[in-house]
Amino acid sequence: MASTVLVADTGRPTGSAASRRLRAADQIPGVLYGHGMQPVSVAVARRDLRLALSGPAGLNTVLDLSVDGTVYPAIVKDVQRHPVRRNVSHVDFIQVNLDEEITVSVPVRLVGEAAAVVAGGGLVDPAVDAIEVVTTPRSIPPEFVIDVTDMEMDTVIRLEDVPMPDGVVATGDPDGPVVTVLTMRAEMAEIEAADAEIAEEQAEAEGEAPAGEEADGEGDGEASEAGASE
Amino acid sequence: MLMPRKVAHRKHHRGRTRGLTKGSSELAFGEFGIQALEPGWLTARQIEAARIAMTRAIKRGGKVWINVFPDKPVTKKPAETRMGSGKGNPELWVAVVKPGRILFELSFPNAEGARIAMNKAIQKLPIKARVVTREETV
Repeated sequence: MASTVLVADTGRPTGSAASRRLRAADQIPGVLYGHGMQPVSVAVARRDLRLALSGPAGLNTVLDLSVDGTVYPAIVKDVQRHPVRRNVSHVDFIQVNLDEEITVSVPVRLVGEAAAVVAGGGLVDPAVDAIEVVTTPRSIPPEFVIDVTDMEMDTVIRLEDVPMPDGVVATGDPDGPVVTVLTMRAEMAEIEAADAEIAEEQAEAEGEAPAGEEADGEGDGEASEAGASE
Repeated sequence: MLMPRKVAHRKHHRGRTRGLTKGSSELAFGEFGIQALEPGWLTARQIEAARIAMTRAIKRGGKVWINVFPDKPVTKKPAETRMGSGKGNPELWVAVVKPGRILFELSFPNAEGARIAMNKAIQKLPIKARVVTREETV
Protein backbone atom coordinates (compact mmCIF):
# COMPACT_ATOMS: atom_id res chain seq x y z
CA MET A 1 0.00 0.00 0.00
CA ALA A 2 1.42 3.37 -1.02
CA SER A 3 1.74 5.85 1.80
CA THR A 4 -0.12 9.13 1.78
CA VAL A 5 1.91 12.11 2.90
CA LEU A 6 0.26 14.93 4.79
CA VAL A 7 2.12 17.97 6.05
CA ALA A 8 1.02 19.40 9.39
CA ASP A 9 2.19 22.65 10.94
CA THR A 10 2.87 22.92 14.65
CA GLY A 11 2.83 25.92 16.90
CA ARG A 12 -0.72 26.89 16.15
CA PRO A 13 -2.38 29.10 18.74
CA THR A 14 -4.97 27.21 20.77
CA GLY A 15 -8.38 28.37 21.85
CA SER A 16 -11.72 28.80 20.12
CA ALA A 17 -11.09 32.24 18.63
CA ALA A 18 -7.69 31.28 17.23
CA SER A 19 -9.14 28.03 15.87
CA ARG A 20 -11.94 30.00 14.21
CA ARG A 21 -9.36 32.22 12.53
CA LEU A 22 -7.45 29.13 11.37
CA ARG A 23 -10.61 27.64 9.83
CA ALA A 24 -11.32 30.91 8.07
CA ALA A 25 -7.86 30.61 6.50
CA ASP A 26 -8.73 27.07 5.22
CA GLN A 27 -6.63 25.36 7.87
CA ILE A 28 -8.07 22.65 10.11
CA PRO A 29 -6.90 22.55 13.72
CA GLY A 30 -6.00 19.11 14.97
CA VAL A 31 -4.00 17.13 17.48
CA LEU A 32 -1.53 14.27 17.15
CA TYR A 33 -1.06 11.78 19.98
CA GLY A 34 -0.45 8.11 20.71
CA HIS A 35 2.31 5.66 21.54
CA GLY A 36 3.44 7.57 24.60
CA MET A 37 4.21 10.81 22.80
CA GLN A 38 3.18 14.16 24.22
CA PRO A 39 0.11 15.43 22.34
CA VAL A 40 1.04 18.00 19.69
CA SER A 41 -1.38 20.65 18.45
CA VAL A 42 -1.18 20.79 14.67
CA ALA A 43 -2.93 22.44 11.76
CA VAL A 44 -3.41 20.92 8.30
CA ALA A 45 -4.57 22.50 5.07
CA ARG A 46 -8.21 21.61 4.38
CA ARG A 47 -7.50 20.76 0.75
CA ASP A 48 -4.54 18.54 1.61
CA LEU A 49 -6.56 16.64 4.21
CA ARG A 50 -9.41 16.15 1.76
CA LEU A 51 -7.03 14.79 -0.87
CA ALA A 52 -5.28 12.54 1.64
CA LEU A 53 -8.55 10.99 2.85
CA SER A 54 -10.18 10.67 -0.57
CA GLY A 55 -8.44 7.39 -1.37
CA PRO A 56 -10.17 3.99 -1.32
CA ALA A 57 -9.54 3.55 2.42
CA GLY A 58 -11.28 6.84 3.24
CA LEU A 59 -10.96 7.79 6.89
CA ASN A 60 -8.87 4.65 7.56
CA THR A 61 -6.05 5.80 5.28
CA VAL A 62 -2.62 5.36 6.88
CA LEU A 63 -0.94 8.74 6.66
CA ASP A 64 2.68 9.73 6.82
CA LEU A 65 2.12 12.80 8.91
CA SER A 66 5.04 15.16 8.53
CA VAL A 67 5.34 17.36 11.61
CA ASP A 68 8.34 19.71 11.79
CA GLY A 69 10.41 17.38 9.62
CA THR A 70 9.55 14.23 11.60
CA VAL A 71 7.30 11.73 9.85
CA TYR A 72 4.77 9.91 12.05
CA PRO A 73 2.70 7.02 10.70
CA ALA A 74 -0.82 8.00 11.78
CA ILE A 75 -4.48 7.40 11.13
CA VAL A 76 -7.46 9.63 11.74
CA LYS A 77 -8.93 8.79 15.12
CA ASP A 78 -11.80 11.25 15.15
CA VAL A 79 -13.26 13.98 12.97
CA GLN A 80 -15.49 16.75 14.28
CA ARG A 81 -17.84 18.39 11.83
CA HIS A 82 -19.86 21.59 11.87
CA PRO A 83 -23.45 20.46 12.50
CA VAL A 84 -24.95 22.50 9.64
CA ARG A 85 -22.13 23.20 7.20
CA ARG A 86 -20.84 19.61 7.56
CA ASN A 87 -17.22 20.61 6.97
CA VAL A 88 -14.46 19.35 9.24
CA SER A 89 -13.77 21.62 12.19
CA HIS A 90 -11.21 19.50 14.05
CA VAL A 91 -9.29 16.29 13.44
CA ASP A 92 -7.55 13.87 15.81
CA PHE A 93 -4.57 11.92 14.49
CA ILE A 94 -3.28 8.91 16.39
CA GLN A 95 0.26 7.71 15.87
CA VAL A 96 0.42 4.00 15.03
CA ASN A 97 3.10 1.37 14.90
CA LEU A 98 2.91 -0.21 11.44
CA ASP A 99 3.71 -3.67 12.88
CA GLU A 100 1.30 -3.46 15.78
CA GLU A 101 -2.35 -4.45 15.55
CA ILE A 102 -4.96 -1.73 16.00
CA THR A 103 -8.74 -1.71 16.19
CA VAL A 104 -10.54 0.16 13.41
CA SER A 105 -14.07 0.33 11.99
CA VAL A 106 -14.37 -0.66 8.36
CA PRO A 107 -17.50 0.40 6.46
CA VAL A 108 -19.91 -2.18 5.04
CA ARG A 109 -21.30 -1.83 1.50
CA LEU A 110 -24.18 -3.96 0.23
CA VAL A 111 -24.31 -4.87 -3.45
CA GLY A 112 -26.93 -6.58 -5.56
CA GLU A 113 -30.69 -6.69 -5.29
CA ALA A 114 -32.35 -9.44 -3.29
CA ALA A 115 -35.16 -10.33 -5.70
CA ALA A 116 -36.68 -12.91 -3.34
CA VAL A 117 -36.87 -10.36 -0.54
CA VAL A 118 -38.42 -7.65 -2.72
CA ALA A 119 -40.99 -10.14 -4.05
CA GLY A 120 -41.85 -11.22 -0.50
CA GLY A 121 -42.48 -7.65 0.65
CA GLY A 122 -39.32 -7.42 2.72
CA LEU A 123 -36.48 -4.98 3.08
CA VAL A 124 -32.79 -5.80 3.23
CA ASP A 125 -31.70 -3.96 6.33
CA PRO A 126 -28.03 -3.46 7.20
CA ALA A 127 -27.88 -4.05 10.96
CA VAL A 128 -24.49 -2.33 11.13
CA ASP A 129 -22.85 0.24 8.90
CA ALA A 130 -19.30 -0.67 9.90
CA ILE A 131 -17.49 -3.71 11.29
CA GLU A 132 -14.84 -3.33 13.96
CA VAL A 133 -11.70 -5.31 13.16
CA VAL A 134 -8.24 -5.84 14.62
CA THR A 135 -5.42 -5.68 12.11
CA THR A 136 -2.14 -4.01 11.31
CA PRO A 137 -2.44 -0.52 9.80
CA ARG A 138 -1.19 -1.65 6.40
CA SER A 139 -3.77 -4.48 6.18
CA ILE A 140 -6.89 -2.40 6.85
CA PRO A 141 -9.43 -3.35 4.16
CA PRO A 142 -11.03 -0.30 2.49
CA GLU A 143 -14.53 -1.77 2.93
CA PHE A 144 -16.46 -5.01 3.27
CA VAL A 145 -18.55 -5.69 0.18
CA ILE A 146 -21.48 -7.99 0.95
CA ASP A 147 -23.53 -9.47 -1.87
CA VAL A 148 -27.21 -9.69 -0.90
CA THR A 149 -28.50 -11.10 -4.21
CA ASP A 150 -29.15 -14.57 -2.79
CA MET A 151 -30.89 -13.42 0.38
CA GLU A 152 -34.28 -14.93 1.19
CA MET A 153 -36.95 -13.67 3.59
CA ASP A 154 -35.52 -15.71 6.48
CA THR A 155 -31.84 -15.16 5.73
CA VAL A 156 -29.55 -13.40 8.17
CA ILE A 157 -25.95 -12.64 7.27
CA ARG A 158 -23.94 -12.91 10.45
CA LEU A 159 -20.48 -11.63 11.25
CA GLU A 160 -19.02 -15.12 10.87
CA ASP A 161 -20.40 -15.21 7.28
CA VAL A 162 -18.43 -12.13 6.23
CA PRO A 163 -15.14 -13.25 4.68
CA MET A 164 -12.16 -11.57 6.31
CA PRO A 165 -8.89 -10.97 4.47
CA ASP A 166 -5.71 -12.52 5.86
CA GLY A 167 -4.54 -10.87 9.05
CA VAL A 168 -7.88 -9.23 9.75
CA VAL A 169 -9.98 -10.41 12.71
CA ALA A 170 -13.44 -9.10 13.57
CA THR A 171 -13.83 -8.19 17.25
CA GLY A 172 -17.61 -8.51 17.49
CA ASP A 173 -19.83 -11.49 18.31
CA PRO A 174 -19.58 -14.02 15.44
CA ASP A 175 -23.34 -14.62 15.75
CA GLY A 176 -24.10 -10.91 15.58
CA PRO A 177 -26.28 -9.91 12.59
CA VAL A 178 -24.73 -7.79 9.86
CA VAL A 179 -27.56 -7.82 7.33
CA THR A 180 -31.13 -8.82 8.12
CA VAL A 181 -34.48 -8.84 6.33
CA LEU A 182 -37.37 -6.79 7.67
CA THR A 183 -40.95 -7.69 6.84
CA MET A 184 -43.00 -4.68 5.89
CA ARG A 185 -46.43 -6.03 6.75
CA ALA A 186 -46.86 -3.82 9.80
CA GLU A 187 -45.89 -0.71 7.85
CA MET A 188 -48.42 -1.46 5.11
CA ALA A 189 -51.14 -2.06 7.69
CA GLU A 190 -50.27 1.31 9.20
CA ILE A 191 -50.60 3.06 5.83
CA GLU A 192 -53.94 1.39 5.20
CA ALA A 193 -55.14 2.39 8.67
CA ALA A 194 -54.02 6.01 8.07
CA ASP A 195 -55.83 6.03 4.71
CA ALA A 196 -58.98 4.69 6.32
CA GLU A 197 -58.72 7.32 9.05
CA ILE A 198 -58.38 10.13 6.51
CA ALA A 199 -61.34 8.81 4.47
CA GLU A 200 -63.39 8.67 7.66
CA GLU A 201 -62.44 12.24 8.60
CA GLN A 202 -63.32 13.47 5.11
CA ALA A 203 -66.68 11.73 5.25
CA GLU A 204 -67.36 13.27 8.66
CA ALA A 205 -66.32 16.73 7.44
CA GLU A 206 -68.62 16.48 4.44
CA GLY A 207 -71.49 15.36 6.63
CA GLU A 208 -70.96 18.14 9.17
CA ALA A 209 -70.22 21.01 6.80
CA PRO A 210 -73.70 22.60 6.88
CA ALA A 211 -73.92 22.24 10.66
CA GLY A 212 -70.46 23.85 11.01
CA GLU A 213 -71.57 26.85 8.93
CA GLU A 214 -74.61 27.28 11.16
CA ALA A 215 -72.42 27.13 14.22
CA ASP A 216 -70.13 29.80 12.77
CA GLY A 217 -73.11 32.02 12.11
CA GLU A 218 -74.31 31.64 15.66
CA GLY A 219 -70.83 32.38 16.95
CA ASP A 220 -70.70 35.65 14.98
CA GLY A 221 -74.03 36.63 16.35
CA GLU A 222 -72.91 36.07 19.89
CA ALA A 223 -69.76 38.04 19.29
CA SER A 224 -71.67 41.01 17.94
CA GLU A 225 -74.10 40.84 20.85
CA ALA A 226 -71.23 40.75 23.30
CA GLY A 227 -69.65 43.72 21.56
CA ALA A 228 -72.92 45.64 21.71
CA SER A 229 -73.38 44.96 25.39
CA GLU A 230 -69.92 46.34 26.12
CA MET B 1 -49.82 11.54 17.70
CA LEU B 2 -46.71 11.68 19.81
CA MET B 3 -47.02 13.06 23.34
CA PRO B 4 -45.56 12.25 26.76
CA ARG B 5 -47.44 9.74 28.88
CA LYS B 6 -46.90 11.77 32.04
CA VAL B 7 -45.06 14.99 32.81
CA ALA B 8 -43.46 16.61 35.82
CA HIS B 9 -44.87 20.07 34.97
CA ARG B 10 -48.05 20.63 32.99
CA LYS B 11 -47.06 24.07 31.70
CA HIS B 12 -43.66 25.21 30.49
CA HIS B 13 -42.10 28.58 29.80
CA ARG B 14 -41.71 29.33 26.11
CA GLY B 15 -37.95 29.78 26.30
CA ARG B 16 -35.52 31.02 23.65
CA THR B 17 -33.85 28.92 20.97
CA ARG B 18 -30.27 30.01 20.44
CA GLY B 19 -27.31 28.38 18.77
CA LEU B 20 -26.89 25.08 16.97
CA THR B 21 -27.89 21.58 17.97
CA LYS B 22 -25.68 20.06 20.60
CA GLY B 23 -25.98 16.47 19.41
CA SER B 24 -27.98 14.31 17.03
CA SER B 25 -26.43 15.99 14.01
CA GLU B 26 -25.19 12.72 12.47
CA LEU B 27 -27.18 9.87 10.96
CA ALA B 28 -27.41 7.03 13.46
CA PHE B 29 -29.85 4.50 11.96
CA GLY B 30 -30.76 5.05 8.32
CA GLU B 31 -28.87 5.94 5.17
CA PHE B 32 -30.81 9.16 4.60
CA GLY B 33 -32.06 11.84 6.94
CA ILE B 34 -33.86 15.16 7.18
CA GLN B 35 -31.75 17.83 8.85
CA ALA B 36 -33.16 21.06 10.26
CA LEU B 37 -31.54 24.25 8.98
CA GLU B 38 -33.50 26.68 11.16
CA PRO B 39 -34.57 26.76 14.79
CA GLY B 40 -38.23 26.21 15.51
CA TRP B 41 -40.99 24.22 17.16
CA LEU B 42 -42.35 21.11 15.47
CA THR B 43 -45.82 20.21 16.66
CA ALA B 44 -46.89 16.62 17.10
CA ARG B 45 -49.28 17.09 14.17
CA GLN B 46 -46.51 18.31 11.89
CA ILE B 47 -44.25 15.41 12.86
CA GLU B 48 -47.06 12.96 12.20
CA ALA B 49 -47.94 14.62 8.88
CA ALA B 50 -44.33 14.42 7.75
CA ARG B 51 -44.08 10.79 8.80
CA ILE B 52 -47.27 9.85 6.96
CA ALA B 53 -46.14 11.73 3.82
CA MET B 54 -42.83 9.90 3.86
CA THR B 55 -44.32 6.47 4.62
CA ARG B 56 -46.90 6.92 1.89
CA ALA B 57 -44.27 7.97 -0.65
CA ILE B 58 -42.03 4.98 0.00
CA LYS B 59 -45.09 2.66 0.09
CA ARG B 60 -43.20 -0.48 1.10
CA GLY B 61 -39.56 -1.42 1.32
CA GLY B 62 -38.39 1.29 3.69
CA LYS B 63 -37.97 2.00 7.37
CA VAL B 64 -38.50 5.34 9.07
CA TRP B 65 -37.06 6.61 12.34
CA ILE B 66 -38.36 9.72 14.10
CA ASN B 67 -35.53 11.36 16.03
CA VAL B 68 -37.48 14.16 17.70
CA PHE B 69 -40.16 13.91 20.35
CA PRO B 70 -42.69 16.62 21.20
CA ASP B 71 -42.21 16.86 24.95
CA LYS B 72 -42.89 20.57 25.47
CA PRO B 73 -46.47 21.62 26.20
CA VAL B 74 -47.75 24.82 24.59
CA THR B 75 -50.64 26.61 26.23
CA LYS B 76 -53.27 28.81 24.68
CA LYS B 77 -55.91 31.06 26.16
CA PRO B 78 -59.44 30.57 24.84
CA ALA B 79 -60.66 32.94 22.13
CA GLU B 80 -62.10 36.28 23.24
CA THR B 81 -60.76 36.03 26.74
CA ARG B 82 -59.52 39.06 28.63
CA MET B 83 -55.87 39.07 29.61
CA GLY B 84 -54.96 37.84 33.07
CA SER B 85 -56.45 35.05 35.15
CA GLY B 86 -53.37 32.90 34.83
CA LYS B 87 -51.71 30.89 32.09
CA GLY B 88 -53.87 29.19 29.47
CA ASN B 89 -54.55 25.51 29.03
CA PRO B 90 -52.09 23.08 27.41
CA GLU B 91 -53.24 22.73 23.81
CA LEU B 92 -50.43 21.09 21.87
CA TRP B 93 -47.07 19.42 22.19
CA VAL B 94 -43.97 20.58 20.37
CA ALA B 95 -40.39 19.46 19.87
CA VAL B 96 -37.82 22.24 20.14
CA VAL B 97 -35.42 21.99 17.23
CA LYS B 98 -32.13 23.77 16.63
CA PRO B 99 -30.24 24.00 13.30
CA GLY B 100 -28.32 20.84 12.44
CA ARG B 101 -30.69 18.45 14.20
CA ILE B 102 -31.53 15.23 12.35
CA LEU B 103 -35.34 15.03 12.49
CA PHE B 104 -36.08 11.82 10.60
CA GLU B 105 -34.01 8.99 9.24
CA LEU B 106 -34.89 6.64 6.44
CA SER B 107 -33.56 3.34 5.21
CA PHE B 108 -34.60 2.75 1.62
CA PRO B 109 -32.90 0.86 -1.22
CA ASN B 110 -33.50 3.49 -3.89
CA ALA B 111 -31.72 6.83 -3.33
CA GLU B 112 -33.93 8.77 -5.75
CA GLY B 113 -37.11 7.39 -4.15
CA ALA B 114 -35.79 8.25 -0.71
CA ARG B 115 -35.05 11.82 -1.76
CA ILE B 116 -38.56 12.26 -3.19
CA ALA B 117 -40.16 10.86 -0.02
CA MET B 118 -38.07 13.06 2.25
CA ASN B 119 -38.81 16.19 0.21
CA LYS B 120 -42.52 15.44 0.62
CA ALA B 121 -41.98 15.20 4.37
CA ILE B 122 -40.00 18.47 4.42
CA GLN B 123 -43.00 20.23 2.90
CA LYS B 124 -45.01 19.36 6.00
CA LEU B 125 -42.50 21.04 8.33
CA PRO B 126 -42.58 24.68 9.45
CA ILE B 127 -38.83 25.15 9.13
CA LYS B 128 -36.22 24.93 6.39
CA ALA B 129 -34.68 21.47 6.20
CA ARG B 130 -32.61 19.41 3.82
CA VAL B 131 -31.96 15.79 2.93
CA VAL B 132 -28.61 14.39 4.10
CA THR B 133 -26.89 11.10 3.32
CA ARG B 134 -24.07 9.13 4.87
CA GLU B 135 -21.66 9.88 2.06
CA GLU B 136 -19.67 12.87 3.16
CA THR B 137 -16.51 14.54 1.99
CA VAL B 138 -13.81 16.05 4.15
